[in-house]
Amino acid sequence: MRTPRALRPLTESLATVALGLVAGGLLIWAFGHSPVAAYRALAVGAFGTREDLLETLAFATPLMLTALTFAVGVRAGLFNIGAEGQMYLGAVGATFVAGMVPMPAGVHLAAATLAGMAAGALWALIPAVLKAWRGAHEVISTIMCNWIALHLSMYLAINFLAEPGRAERTVPALPTARYPVLSEESTLTAVLFVAVGFALVVYAYLWGTRAGYELRLAGENPDAARYAGVRPERVVVLSFVIGGLAAGLAGASQVIGRPPAWSLYATLGNVTTLGFDGIGVALVGRNHPVGGILAAVLFGALAQGGRLMEYEVGVLSELVRALNGIIVFAMAVPELWTLLRRRLAR
Amino acid sequence: MREQAPRVQMRGIHKVYPDGTAALKGVDFRVHAGEIVALLGENGAGKTTLMKVLSGLLRPTRGAIFVDGRPVLFRNPSDALRCGIGMVHQVFTLVPPFTALQNVLLGQEGTGALSPLPEASARARVAALLEEVGLEVPLDVPVESLPVGVQQRVEICKTLYRGTSVLILDEPTSALTPVEVEEFFRFLRRLRDRGAAIVLITHKLREVLEVSDRVVVLRQGLVAGELPTSSATAEKLAELMVGQLTALRVRKSPRAPGKPVLSVRGLTVRNDQGRVAVRDLSFDVREGEIVGVAGVEGNGQSELVQALTGLRQPDSGEVYLEGERVPFVEPLALYRRGLAHVPEDKARFGLALGFDLVENSILGRQREPQFVRRLGRLNRPVILRYAQDLVRRFHVVAPDLATPVRSLSGGNQQRLLVGREISKEPRLVVAMHPTRGLDVASTLYIRELLVQMRDAGKAVLLVSADLDEVLELSDRIAVMYAGQFVGLGPADQFRRETVGLLMGGVVPADDADAARAPSPH
Repeated sequence: MRTPRALRPLTESLATVALGLVAGGLLIWAFGHSPVAAYRALAVGAFGTREDLLETLAFATPLMLTALTFAVGVRAGLFNIGAEGQMYLGAVGATFVAGMVPMPAGVHLAAATLAGMAAGALWALIPAVLKAWRGAHEVISTIMCNWIALHLSMYLAINFLAEPGRAERTVPALPTARYPVLSEESTLTAVLFVAVGFALVVYAYLWGTRAGYELRLAGENPDAARYAGVRPERVVVLSFVIGGLAAGLAGASQVIGRPPAWSLYATLGNVTTLGFDGIGVALVGRNHPVGGILAAVLFGALAQGGRLMEYEVGVLSELVRALNGIIVFAMAVPELWTLLRRRLAR
Repeated sequence: MREQAPRVQMRGIHKVYPDGTAALKGVDFRVHAGEIVALLGENGAGKTTLMKVLSGLLRPTRGAIFVDGRPVLFRNPSDALRCGIGMVHQVFTLVPPFTALQNVLLGQEGTGALSPLPEASARARVAALLEEVGLEVPLDVPVESLPVGVQQRVEICKTLYRGTSVLILDEPTSALTPVEVEEFFRFLRRLRDRGAAIVLITHKLREVLEVSDRVVVLRQGLVAGELPTSSATAEKLAELMVGQLTALRVRKSPRAPGKPVLSVRGLTVRNDQGRVAVRDLSFDVREGEIVGVAGVEGNGQSELVQALTGLRQPDSGEVYLEGERVPFVEPLALYRRGLAHVPEDKARFGLALGFDLVENSILGRQREPQFVRRLGRLNRPVILRYAQDLVRRFHVVAPDLATPVRSLSGGNQQRLLVGREISKEPRLVVAMHPTRGLDVASTLYIRELLVQMRDAGKAVLLVSADLDEVLELSDRIAVMYAGQFVGLGPADQFRRETVGLLMGGVVPADDADAARAPSPH
């Protein structure tokens, strides 16, 4: 009795993804390509070889974290779209400690990781405080913070963290602050385990602790939360901090956990949009930490397999991004379907 | 008159909702011009569903509708209106800042989306209609500033202005004072005498006997009985309504109250609009007694309960629990001192509908040491056992504990909530509208639980818009009007009529002394 209900979101999400792929196929067909050939290339590109699979996971790593940022917000009743900016600051924080503060091996890696997470969380505190004590709507404040974070991070990267003689990127992480590469054939590092572990910890926290219960209660029914003595300000701050930690880790993962650059580009080119992409991943993952991991692998597969699709079938890479969008759009279909059924059933 | 063809006839109406609920299982119904038919039944008997079918809001799964003998098919409410059938719902559909006239004209045929309302030209026609049927409505005042009773007249006027000759009213008296009800019934009789067909959906026996010509009783989606009102008695109707003549009354033995548990002194509370809703109120609730607060909704009851349960900051005053002054707006501190709260709107305050039974069973109790382990982890096994125990003890019917409470019936939701609150072993129970919208069995059960609490020596503050509930359960009764208690005294001093008058703000002459001087307790 319990299992089917627990699995319903999963089956719904899978159906949605299938629907999105069909719609995407129509789009591919409209551009004059064979959808079958395109999807074959996509699948082969994403999962065909061990190397491809690992690369898919490398793409998935930051996405499961930024998805977590959005998901924790939604669970607390907040629309936190600030993962993008929090992730930039996380990348900057990690770069600083990893590249400019020499430390013994072991300690250094942990310190750089924590620096990235802390920077993300600190940046998330701005909209959190504005929301909790001034009532500023988090959508507005996180959008503004994203822009400030973009220019602040570029400024910091160019002026304080730049590698001498190379204006286009920051100093690389020192070897003591790099996650071990899991396979020389791909860019996947052990940071994947940290990301998955963090998502699982957040899952256990939200569903297994008193504080997590209160956070979800505030999101599910704010009035009932007041009745239960939950202070709304605490929930806002808590959910933003967890989200900021996740986003900061996502940013750090691209600097100290992703070869070959091991550094942040001055344009932030190796991290941009990872935060926004996380929103779509969270939606497909039903705002659940574990769902987010699975959805991130799917989006990672699209990113990785999309390369081969472009190379072999000639489908434009923009079309691959359109496919991401269509799948997210398709998430609205179950809701639409219920509405439609209700109308028809009257 | 009865020899004529019915104005409206429904034959073999079935309605199965998408979730599989069979709300109507073959109902025949008719109404003639010039008669008032009372459609009587419990919550969930199918009264509203049947009338939604008649007014085009719902499509029947099976069955046929005839208007003046001709078969019709309504796809939407406009189709029904064209046949002269209109329904006034329990929840009004008025635009609050618009005047009555604007509300009446809104959505009329012939007014385009962008064209201005033909206020000037229509004013005379609306005024004439009101005059004709004898309704008094100020046309130029924003409806939001009108009392609920007058808003209802606007709603009725809106329906009549569209040419309605079959008027369906869904529980129209629920928000009216007894005085307003009288006036409303006079209006209904006038309308009937002018040849209108009126269907009155209600579950109040007294109203049925007073105003209707014929009664149709629904029970579980079927017609349980149909009879002319002249040959109906309250007992007979009640029997038809609930199936068997159950002991509708809760047994209650006399009991001497003990020392005060809740003491309220000089409490003043404002509502969301910043107006004073509770004015300088003082009273006690003692061990082993139920103090019932009656009153028409909106006289400060919600604000009073919210202030006492930590959901609203009062302006001034003091509240004591067992002699100790309690802090305001700290529900957890109140719970620790023995407060159990059955809130007025269970879906809004007392339950998280998306959570399952287990998670709802600790709502408000989530910090109690027995449910939390080291590092703030929830003690899942203990919580699970406790939830199972709640479900068993309070007869909550649910497929399993992992069911979201959204999919439970209202009665089972309330059983879970009341069970949770009672299992706290409280000193004080504050319950507002504890049986609103529940079926007979659950209503009876919840009332019994409240009396059990009283018998066990708890103090119970019962706030309810259901006068019968207050009269039946309370040891002492207070009537709340305009933020104050008009009359607070032993229940046996209150006659039903007295309370009715007090609710309407009228202090009856012979009770005037008792009402003006509230007893010290």
